[in-house]
Amino acid sequence: MRFVLRRLGFFVVTLWAAITLNFLIPRLMPGNAAIAMMARYKGRLNPQALHALEIAFGVHAHQSLFHAYITYLGNIARGHFGTSLTFFPDTVAHQVLQALPWTLALVGTTTILAFLLGTFIGLVSAWRRGTALDGALPPLFVITSAFPYFWLALLAIWLFSIKLGWFPESGGYEVTTTVGWNWTFVSDAFNHSVLPAATILVTAIGGWILTMRNNMITVLTEDYVRMARAKGLKPWRIMWTYAGRNAILPNLVGFAMSLGFVVGGAILVEFVFNYPGVGWMFLQSVENQDYALMQALFLLITVAVLLAILAADVATAFLDPRTREPG
Amino acid sequence: MTLPSVADSVEPVGATVGSGPPGESTRRRAGADVFRSLTRNRKALVGLGLLLGFAVLALIPGQIAPDDPRAKVYPRGLGPSLHHLFGTTAYGEDVFSQLVWGTRQSLLIAVLVGGLATLIAVLVGVSAGYLGGTSDGILSLITDVILVIPIFPLIIVIAAYERNSGFLTLVIVLGVLGWSYGARQLRSQTLSLRRRDFLEAARVRGERKSYIIVNEILPTMTSLIVASFLGAAVYAVLFAAGLQFIGLGDPNSQSWGTMLYWAQNNEALGAGMPYWAIMPGVCVALLGAAFALVNYAFDEISNPALRLRRLEHKGAQELPSAPPAQVAADTENLLQVRGLTVAYASDAGPVVAVDNVDLDLKRGEFLGIVGESGCGKSTLLYAIARLLGAPLAGEITSGQVLFKGRDMVSLTDKQLRHIRWREYSVVMQSAMNALNPVLTVEAQMRDALEAHSDMTKREMRERSKEALRLVSIDPVHLLSYPHQLSGGMRQRAMIAMALLFTPDLIIMDEPTSALDVVAQRSLMMQIKELQERLGFAVIFVTHDMSLVSHFSDRLLVMYAAQVAEYGKTRQLFDHPLHPYTQGLLEAFPSIRGEKVRLTGIPGQPPDLLRPPSGCRFAARCPLANERCTAAPPLYEVDGELVRCVLYEREREAVAAT
Repeated sequence: MRFVLRRLGFFVVTLWAAITLNFLIPRLMPGNAAIAMMARYKGRLNPQALHALEIAFGVHAHQSLFHAYITYLGNIARGHFGTSLTFFPDTVAHQVLQALPWTLALVGTTTILAFLLGTFIGLVSAWRRGTALDGALPPLFVITSAFPYFWLALLAIWLFSIKLGWFPESGGYEVTTTVGWNWTFVSDAFNHSVLPAATILVTAIGGWILTMRNNMITVLTEDYVRMARAKGLKPWRIMWTYAGRNAILPNLVGFAMSLGFVVGGAILVEFVFNYPGVGWMFLQSVENQDYALMQALFLLITVAVLLAILAADVATAFLDPRTREPG
Repeated sequence: MTLPSVADSVEPVGATVGSGPPGESTRRRAGADVFRSLTRNRKALVGLGLLLGFAVLALIPGQIAPDDPRAKVYPRGLGPSLHHLFGTTAYGEDVFSQLVWGTRQSLLIAVLVGGLATLIAVLVGVSAGYLGGTSDGILSLITDVILVIPIFPLIIVIAAYERNSGFLTLVIVLGVLGWSYGARQLRSQTLSLRRRDFLEAARVRGERKSYIIVNEILPTMTSLIVASFLGAAVYAVLFAAGLQFIGLGDPNSQSWGTMLYWAQNNEALGAGMPYWAIMPGVCVALLGAAFALVNYAFDEISNPALRLRRLEHKGAQELPSAPPAQVAADTENLLQVRGLTVAYASDAGPVVAVDNVDLDLKRGEFLGIVGESGCGKSTLLYAIARLLGAPLAGEITSGQVLFKGRDMVSLTDKQLRHIRWREYSVVMQSAMNALNPVLTVEAQMRDALEAHSDMTKREMRERSKEALRLVSIDPVHLLSYPHQLSGGMRQRAMIAMALLFTPDLIIMDEPTSALDVVAQRSLMMQIKELQERLGFAVIFVTHDMSLVSHFSDRLLVMYAAQVAEYGKTRQLFDHPLHPYTQGLLEAFPSIRGEKVRLTGIPGQPPDLLRPPSGCRFAARCPLANERCTAAPPLYEVDGELVRCVLYEREREAVAAT
């Protein structure tokens, strides 16, 4: 119970830190970007748009910093993220909700897939230590995990879209299809997601293979694995229940920690593929200086990462009885 | 507020790199060892080679690519040719020259960000780990928060306000946000070092905290600090390129990321200038991979478990001397070990840890194997049990282990599996480590029962309960996890597990050494009582001779991988023959006997990598003379075996070993 409370406390602190950064960064920039922006837009925007900016920055003309901060926190708490400049007069919240399913489907699925697949390959690779497969995989994945996501995305487009014409080169679906739960749309959306998904998979998987392999090798030297051998258990039983189950625990922590990295890469992949998700929208908002939208998306990304870490925590608690202990 | 860390489970670097006794010299040598190992590691060599190449490009770009990278003087969008290796850009610049000139910035960013991030990581991580308490709480919280906040989006947010930010801003932002991973690892490393002897010693000497941190802690963490630097460098290269690629860097800067930005804006790939877009990415990937490879190699070096060592087999293996069939007729002996030799692979060559050992064990007999740590007694035990392999990556190089007439050495893993646990089981030194932490006691017992019988679930549960009752543990603990039991209970639970099938032989590796003296004694009584009741034979390894004195029938004293003395326990205690045995006995106080000075044995056992050619104990032996320069065989004296030339004249050698 204390563990759960501590973790919840940690999530609240992290969320608070992200919100505060959102509030502070524009003010801490040289020349106070917030005030400068407001001055720039005054007279050029209608009052509603100006109000949107005010919410984004939490500034009212003559508020003290502290007062502005409180107002800002209040707005965030009530889900008032303001109005998007790019999609004016649509609200930020509505825009974000439109992009979210695309990212969840693409980045969410591939991240989980990369984690599961990477963990599995790492486990088998360590178990079959010293074989040709194990000799070739680690160096290969050390190299692929250092690939820039966006560059691999560029290569994928060049090879599979432009040269071979197997997959569409950008977007989430053909603009001619009608969005909805019909076969044409779903298969089209799937077709569009293959290349970005493969890009994320290839670059993200390496890290998890390597860490799982190393964890597994360390765990294989543990006494309980030797004990399992002494008991005459079948090899697959030793591999899964004794070695694997213990080796995956630190990998779950690793999952939580490297998620921010993967999300950063996924943003660029969406950007390169013009994929209509959160990452693409995030960079569009940066491009259009739509700060209200940008801040909301940054918070959303942070919350998504925190939720994924929470899921990793739950999985850890499920797999490791020691974390379930009171106190 | 800490997550369980990956690094928590990794052995501290300083302790594992050197093979000598831990302490001052090991720590001082660690740096040199790491460097030597690096030059032998193929991944490290490739990585360092690449880095060197890039460094040359960064230092003297003018010599390699004399073209001005910004001169828009060539025909636009040329394909690759001898003059323009990778063609020209849509603006008429030479792609090759741009690549060469762009190296400097990427490398500089990597080095500066790596340095800055590592500096912060060391400051925060080491302080948190060393100071502990509230400081640790606050610093760890900050570290963890920064660790989980998605850094790249945050950098984009910052860059969005500070558009076209200069080089310095980029370095500072990346450095200030990229230290948390390294800090975490350094913190847990510091935590594990805090209670080490050499730090205690420094504290007792009254050294200042800052002195201890700089002179005592930091040197032992060279590998982690380097890893932190390399990790941050990879991240800096990738993130900086990413930022520039999406147009958030200085569009006029000479860098690979900026090249990619312009290439993407001109749709270089579709417009017949593929190298413009591909090559900068190749460079980023190569630089990132170079850092990552060196980093990985460092990991391998600082964690020896990750390296795979193999024995080199020179020539044919020695064949077992005695034909198995002949010995199999011997029904009195449950176990016969003949000429068993085990070697480990090490960087410096094979280490023979068990050298030509013979022993016999009758049904129901209790055999104690004693000796100092490192004498090979545990290796002998695990060789008999056919449980060598990581972390004891030893190999049986010759000899026989005849268990109930079968030669265990020649059995395949599959054949062994059917004998294991049913006919012989194992009890290990620490149940905390030997029991699977994520399974209940019942699940671990059921695993063994399932593997060797076709009992129903209910029968298995009954049998498990019965086994626990044998060692006086309440069967409710079937549902407990190992960490929920006390130390003594865990140890007994493991013995219960070993009794599930009432095997003929139980092999015990210091099963009581993790317990206090009182618990030790009661556990020994229980083992002896169970042995008498159930009739299994025991091989019991310990470094504590007095512990087995009342329980064992026979004793085998090992010294430096060889049998020093082997005989009946009583006889061996009353009339120790070997000077080493005499020394061992003098090292323990007798409860009833007269007061004598405990002398112990001065000196240390020889290095098994290069054992002395003569008697292995000679260097420490008070009775050593010139005859000890020849290796002594085993002599038989009053039914005992002893390896010492003192007995040469009286008896004939029984075996020329």
